[in-house]
Amino acid sequence: MPQGDHIELHRKRYGRQLDHEERTRKKEARSVKKRAAYAQKAIGLKGKMFAKQRYQEKAVMKKTIAMHEEKDKNRRVKDADEGSAMPAYLLERDQVDRAKVLSNTIKQKRKEKAGKWEVPLPKVRPVAEEEMFKVLRTGKRKKKEWKRMVTKVTFVPPGFTRKPPKYERFIRPTGLRMNKAHVTHPELKATFQLAIIGIKKNPNGQAYTSLGVITRGTIIEVNVSELGLVTPGGKVVWGKYAQVTNNPENDGCINAVLLV
Amino acid sequence: MPVYNFKSMGVVPTAKDLVDIVLSKTQRQTPTVVHNGWAIQRIRQFYMRKVKHTQTTWHEKLSTILEDFPKVDDIHPFYSDLLNVLYDKDHYKLALGQLNAARGMIDKVSQDYVRLLKYGDSLYRCKALKRAALGRMCTIMKRQGPSLAYLEQVRQHMGRLPSIDPNTRSLLVCGYPNVGKSSFMNKVTRADVEVQPYAFTTKSLFVGHTDYKYLRWQVIDTPGILDRPLEERNTIEMQSITALAHLRAAVLYVMDISEQCGYTIKQQAALFQSIKPLFANKPVLIVANKTDVVALADLSAEDRALLDGVAAEAAKVSAGGFEGDKPGSNLIAMSTLTEEGVSVVKQIACDRLLASRVEIKLKSKRINEVGNRIHVAMPRIRDGTARPPIIPASVLAKKGLPPAAPRPTERDLQEAQGGAGVYNADLRKQYDLKDEAWRYDIMPEIADGHNVLDFVDPDIDARLEALEREEAAAAAEFEALDTGLADDHLSQAEWEDLHRIRERKKRIVADNRRKRAAADNTPRIPRTLDAPRSRTAERMKAELGALGLDA
Repeated sequence: MPQGDHIELHRKRYGRQLDHEERTRKKEARSVKKRAAYAQKAIGLKGKMFAKQRYQEKAVMKKTIAMHEEKDKNRRVKDADEGSAMPAYLLERDQVDRAKVLSNTIKQKRKEKAGKWEVPLPKVRPVAEEEMFKVLRTGKRKKKEWKRMVTKVTFVPPGFTRKPPKYERFIRPTGLRMNKAHVTHPELKATFQLAIIGIKKNPNGQAYTSLGVITRGTIIEVNVSELGLVTPGGKVVWGKYAQVTNNPENDGCINAVLLV
Repeated sequence: MPVYNFKSMGVVPTAKDLVDIVLSKTQRQTPTVVHNGWAIQRIRQFYMRKVKHTQTTWHEKLSTILEDFPKVDDIHPFYSDLLNVLYDKDHYKLALGQLNAARGMIDKVSQDYVRLLKYGDSLYRCKALKRAALGRMCTIMKRQGPSLAYLEQVRQHMGRLPSIDPNTRSLLVCGYPNVGKSSFMNKVTRADVEVQPYAFTTKSLFVGHTDYKYLRWQVIDTPGILDRPLEERNTIEMQSITALAHLRAAVLYVMDISEQCGYTIKQQAALFQSIKPLFANKPVLIVANKTDVVALADLSAEDRALLDGVAAEAAKVSAGGFEGDKPGSNLIAMSTLTEEGVSVVKQIACDRLLASRVEIKLKSKRINEVGNRIHVAMPRIRDGTARPPIIPASVLAKKGLPPAAPRPTERDLQEAQGGAGVYNADLRKQYDLKDEAWRYDIMPEIADGHNVLDFVDPDIDARLEALEREEAAAAAEFEALDTGLADDHLSQAEWEDLHRIRERKKRIVADNRRKRAAADNTPRIPRTLDAPRSRTAERMKAELGALGLDA
């Protein structure tokens, strides 16, 4: 035992108190009541946090008890595949795949005709112009009101040169400019931080698309070269579309879902 | 750090606890009330304050943790090597590096979100941004959970390391397991090291202190070392190797000549050969232990030869002390069970180490600073007179005599007459008095309500005489004065005049005194207006009377 472990050394040489086991047993038994008393007495934030923690513990305990009681239940085991006369493992595989592929192609052709693409957020809340722009008063007497400042997050392409300040109507503040998005792959369920290449479409209007405003529901194009995707033809995919799923001006970051 | 106080490091909380601490601190120390109707600048400021406060709190907490832990590169190489052996330097540095990176990331998050908050135009937006900022900071810290847990374990272990000072005089005891290193330690110091019959009882370094020549010596007990190549050694053996490699101490290589530890003398000699390179520049002593079972003389010839070979090797490798004078001076026999030879070993080791340290100090450059300051002055011979040392004749006479019987000391007298509490020492027998009869006189202490000692003066007789003489002289002088003021020269008329004058004077003085003694409420005419004091009550009376008024 190391030289500094005085407590353990004392315990080893002289043992514990004679009634040590009894005391620990009784203390543990009492702790249940103490916890309950604290749960009833604690108020404010501490009380809320403790209640939340306790609820989680109870839920887990209930689940474990239910799991243990499963063994006493009698259940009838049903055969999963009722449709075909033959069991599933004897069925031909090809048939199943081909049927699925056919129905998928038919569905895709129908969508292309309709001009609709399946996106995670088909409908978003419309953003009013008063919410999008803030009016800036300019001029010698601050009476002119033709300038607007964008209050939402914008994306500005890297090679962009602005109009002379006197003539620019829409001001996109640098503090609200972002060029990276946290993109989630819906199947892999993994999130990557990818650079934005450009804005494809903003559902609130064409004006906002050209301005580069990013709101909830905007389709953006992201640089997916680090994901290492390859087309069936053998070409490397480096850009893909993603749809923004949060309000970037409220969260300070752009969260998007990749459109596969 | 110069003082190795690893115990003073603060506790490293778990990630969950740390998040709770910081967030509750922010909740308590920033204002909590905000209203929708307030000016937007005020709302922004409210939320910005929360974000900044959380960031500063995180920064402080992480900085204290990072500063508490010693930097492996900045401490004594013994401790840095020991930390490496015990906790893996890479893992340690990585954990601290991650905390440092987390601290930087939290600062950046705070900066970004404060910048975004400036564009917040509604309470909801500012609140959402603040929530995002705080959440981000806490997520960064939650990911550091494993690092924090590891650092807490390291801190707990580090606080219990023995406090070894790498720069002071130390004796290092090494050898195979079970040879008797810990028993030696128990005999020489007050350290209570466990001694058991199984190998590797001692699993870490132990330190004890002992005194020799009025100096404090550290004795360091190491776990046993087996004879293996360095790469195969386990953590326990590596601690001994670290101590051997970095501490400038006297090495006591303990060998068990009775072979009770389970290793033959040949194996022990082989171990010595393999760890020989670690003994460079250190005084080495070969200690043959367990001589109560097998004495040194009873050993077989080849075993004895082996031992002597090891001693010779030790003499060649070691540095400092008095090697080279006697071939066998490196090898000492001892038995920790019967305690014979233990103090001899300690003495020789300490002497060797002292000599080597003094040698090193003399060789170093710093000795000149001290050496230049020490100067023994010898008086120059300036004339022909011889000035031999003066020795009293009684001493010269005594020199010839045999040493006298020791006279009874005061302590003997005390013990003889009842002991410390009972005996009252007679201090009066040492008084130096003119007359022996006064020795046991009772001295008065209080006379007429005064302390006699306040008035006692050794020269009091002389002073009294001087005073009396002075007084007599003054009286004679006074008598000799021929002033003519003596009353028998006056005639009756003159006597009456004198008497009247005296009475009048007395009356004036009494009047003045009475006036002064009365309460000074009476208004007085200041002297500037009436210097000759001519305005008196009588004058007023007279004048008013002259006018016809009754004053």
